[in-house]
Amino acid sequence: MSLLAPAFLFGLLAIGVPIWLHRLSSENPNRQPFSSVMFLEPGEPRRVIAKQLRYFLLFALRVGVLSLLTLVFAGVVLEGSLQNVLSETARLHVIVMDRSASMAHGNRWERAQAMADTIVDGLDDSDVVQVVAADRIIEVLVEPSLDRAPIRQAINAAEPTPFRVDYGQLMSSMDSLLRGAELPVVLHILTDTQQSSLPTRFADLAPRTSLELTVHNVSVSGEENWALDGLVWSALSGDLTANLRSYSEQDVERTVTLLLNGTEIAVENISIEAGQTAQVNFMDVELSAGANQVVAKLNPSDELSLDNERYLVVKQPIPRPILLVSSNNRDDASFFLTSALETLATQTYEIQRIFPTELANHSFENYVFVVIADAGALAENDSEVLSDFVESGGAVFMALSQRSAGLNFVPITGHSLSSFSQFRAEQGGFLAVGNMDSSHLVLRQLEGLRTAKFYRHIPVDIEPIDTVLMRLEDGSPLLIEHPKGQGRVMIFTSSLDREWNDLPLQPVFVPFMAQLSSYMAGDDRISIDAQLGSTLSSRAMGFSGGQIFAPDGERALGLAGAGAGDEVIVDQIGFYEVLASGQTEFVAVNIDAQESDVTPMPANGFIRWNELGSTPVETAEGGIAMIDDASTDLWPWILSLLLIVVIVESWVGNWHLRVRRGIAA
Amino acid sequence: MPGIAGKQSRDIQNLLNPEVLASLSNLELVARAAVHGFLNGLHRSPFFGFSQEFAEYKAYAEGDDPRFIDWNVYARTDRTYVKRYLGETNTRLVILLDSSASMGYGSGPVTKLQYAKFLAATLAYLAAQQHDAVGLIVFDEEVREHHPASSRLGKLSGILHAIDRASPGTGTNLKVPFEKFHQFERGKGLVVVISDFYCDPEAMIKGVQPLAYQGQDVALFQLLDPQELNPELRESALMEDMETGESMEVSPTFMRSRYRNKIQEHIETLHSSASGTGTDHVLVNTTDPLDIALRNYLLFRQGRR
Repeated sequence: MSLLAPAFLFGLLAIGVPIWLHRLSSENPNRQPFSSVMFLEPGEPRRVIAKQLRYFLLFALRVGVLSLLTLVFAGVVLEGSLQNVLSETARLHVIVMDRSASMAHGNRWERAQAMADTIVDGLDDSDVVQVVAADRIIEVLVEPSLDRAPIRQAINAAEPTPFRVDYGQLMSSMDSLLRGAELPVVLHILTDTQQSSLPTRFADLAPRTSLELTVHNVSVSGEENWALDGLVWSALSGDLTANLRSYSEQDVERTVTLLLNGTEIAVENISIEAGQTAQVNFMDVELSAGANQVVAKLNPSDELSLDNERYLVVKQPIPRPILLVSSNNRDDASFFLTSALETLATQTYEIQRIFPTELANHSFENYVFVVIADAGALAENDSEVLSDFVESGGAVFMALSQRSAGLNFVPITGHSLSSFSQFRAEQGGFLAVGNMDSSHLVLRQLEGLRTAKFYRHIPVDIEPIDTVLMRLEDGSPLLIEHPKGQGRVMIFTSSLDREWNDLPLQPVFVPFMAQLSSYMAGDDRISIDAQLGSTLSSRAMGFSGGQIFAPDGERALGLAGAGAGDEVIVDQIGFYEVLASGQTEFVAVNIDAQESDVTPMPANGFIRWNELGSTPVETAEGGIAMIDDASTDLWPWILSLLLIVVIVESWVGNWHLRVRRGIAA
Repeated sequence: MPGIAGKQSRDIQNLLNPEVLASLSNLELVARAAVHGFLNGLHRSPFFGFSQEFAEYKAYAEGDDPRFIDWNVYARTDRTYVKRYLGETNTRLVILLDSSASMGYGSGPVTKLQYAKFLAATLAYLAAQQHDAVGLIVFDEEVREHHPASSRLGKLSGILHAIDRASPGTGTNLKVPFEKFHQFERGKGLVVVISDFYCDPEAMIKGVQPLAYQGQDVALFQLLDPQELNPELRESALMEDMETGESMEVSPTFMRSRYRNKIQEHIETLHSSASGTGTDHVLVNTTDPLDIALRNYLLFRQGRR
């Protein structure tokens, strides 16, 4: 018997209260004034004893109530109705079954189950067995037990999951689990020894506690797998690309089927060379408005079916208006900007042009952002209007061009411009892009920007709150992000035409403008996916509350409890559906590509891992240990007893009070 | 109108109920209500009149007041007779009121001392109505109040106030009031002792005997609470003597049997001792209406006459 919260035993001090009360009571038993005691005689001893016994019963009941209440809070647990005294040779055999996705390959799982049964069969009757399943977490399927029936039942009932296992984390978790074990431990790990599951440091495979380690390899030589390990949609071209990878020593022919919103729209044949990757392009996929569910299937299916399908959610953006402020509709800047944005296959934006003089009477509410072709063309009033627009959450992309040369301050932001506001490179010379933040959404995968030549630009004195995304070779800021109020201003310190640089002529100009526009408009998430095992939150998707449904159609169980589906653990492959605020969003979840690699670790690595846990197991000190077979929480019984005692105490206490009232009357 | 008469009778009886009397704050009002209620009740009682009413004829003798010669009788018999009235048989009443601590006991709404005060006030009022001289001695271990007997107008008021002031004091010593009586009360008359008589009967009689030998008529009104006569105890209790503070734990069995025998024995001893000295002893239960005690007083007074 043990206590879950022994600190509550301090509650037993409350027993002092009835002791004190009954002490007083015994000192003042029904004291009654009487005219004279001249005719009275002391009571018979038997009667006095009887009275004390009645009080003792009430006292005992009150002490019982407090004691039982304390025990309920302390959480009395009866350990093991079958507590066993074990022999000196007894061991604790912990069977760890790797149930990661790769264990579903072929007959691996059946072999692992058979192997586990064999291990159980070979144990002594005095050996204690514990069964643990491992994937992204460690789950104890059966607590240490001498009873073989639940052990076999748990082994047969377990199944592989779509999660990945990491052997380093597995060993670390087992150390925590087995720390303090009272018996010598023999750890059996039944796994496919997947090379991709090895930790970065081989030393992480070593157990930190003294135990005997046996790793059982359930994979067999010659196992092969082909996986769809990627499905990508290009916003620029509108193409879908499926990536395939071979984990085999032979070339094969496969078919990739593409399903859009449940409808098969294309089938492509592909040959995959041994151990190589291959790509299948699906051109000009016509997406529907809103979110599109795209599934790529690899046919015929192989022995690991989980990675033969790939899921992708692509949102077809609704064309939204951009306001281009330019003093000349036919200038280069307007031409290049319009051309670049209209080149996007997705037709994300509609460009509307106005002159700076029209700004004062123009409403900006409907525009996702505003482009100023030349900041120098803005009047002071225009600057104030746009400043209000930005502070209320708007976005402005502004280039400093010829007319900006005479400015002392940048409109809207108020950045001061250097005294030599117009920089001119040496005759025939130019500056290329120097440092650039390639991790930023605007500049991601845009290394081609370095090929552009900048002949002129206007140096801007940056402020501490600014973020310089791109600099020229001399360190001058070229692209500055300036937060203002609830919005932001992006300043390009050179022109958007061919006068001061040749950027518009470079192929990278179109993707640059596409990513810049996407960032300014806030649609940086065109496709939505989540990693298996990660947390999916509707709040993170911009909703307040909402419900999340798993791919199997069931409502996903929220982390905050049943019914609170605001935040869930992603544990299924497919499309999660998020319903909130009258909108529906889909999230694609795919298997970890590392699980597709069924290649086992090298033989010498496997041998070395086994040797890491070959520490001779010592007999438990004293040779005898008590093992919990099954713990029974006793609180329901104690609570029932407590209720009975409370009722009896009330009855006895009331009887005493009634007697006292009777005397007084 | 038997219905109305019956209702009036019940109202009168209610007026004599100690609980009703306890609700009256003024002791004079209590006495007045009790006496008038009692007197009204007597209209249908077997007692004959006792105030300025005819009592007997007496042959005229020298010295008698000729105004009281009944000329009608003279006309019929040719003899002179004088009418005698009860009112002419005036006497002295001295009330000895015990205000010891034990008199403060009461299991109901009226304590023994309250009942004693009602009784004393009523007797004093009744006596004053008959033009008797009334005196008062309030005592416990000492004499707390002493008002010599007097029939002077306004004396009653002082006596009633003295009765009203009485509160439970200390122990009981009956020797002290009797000595006081000896010292100040010379003439013959009635002596009413109102007490619970928690004392040795022999010692009490020793105090009464000199008065009896002196020719005083002594009446002992022993007031006891129902819980003293028939105690009901459901479990053992610690009884604390109100006078001495002594405590004793007693059992219900004892209180139900042996105690009752002992208190009854005490009452009978007191009664027989009183009879031995020609003294009247009346046991009064404090839940009884006041008229029982008053009737006993009148019988006692009538017997003396």
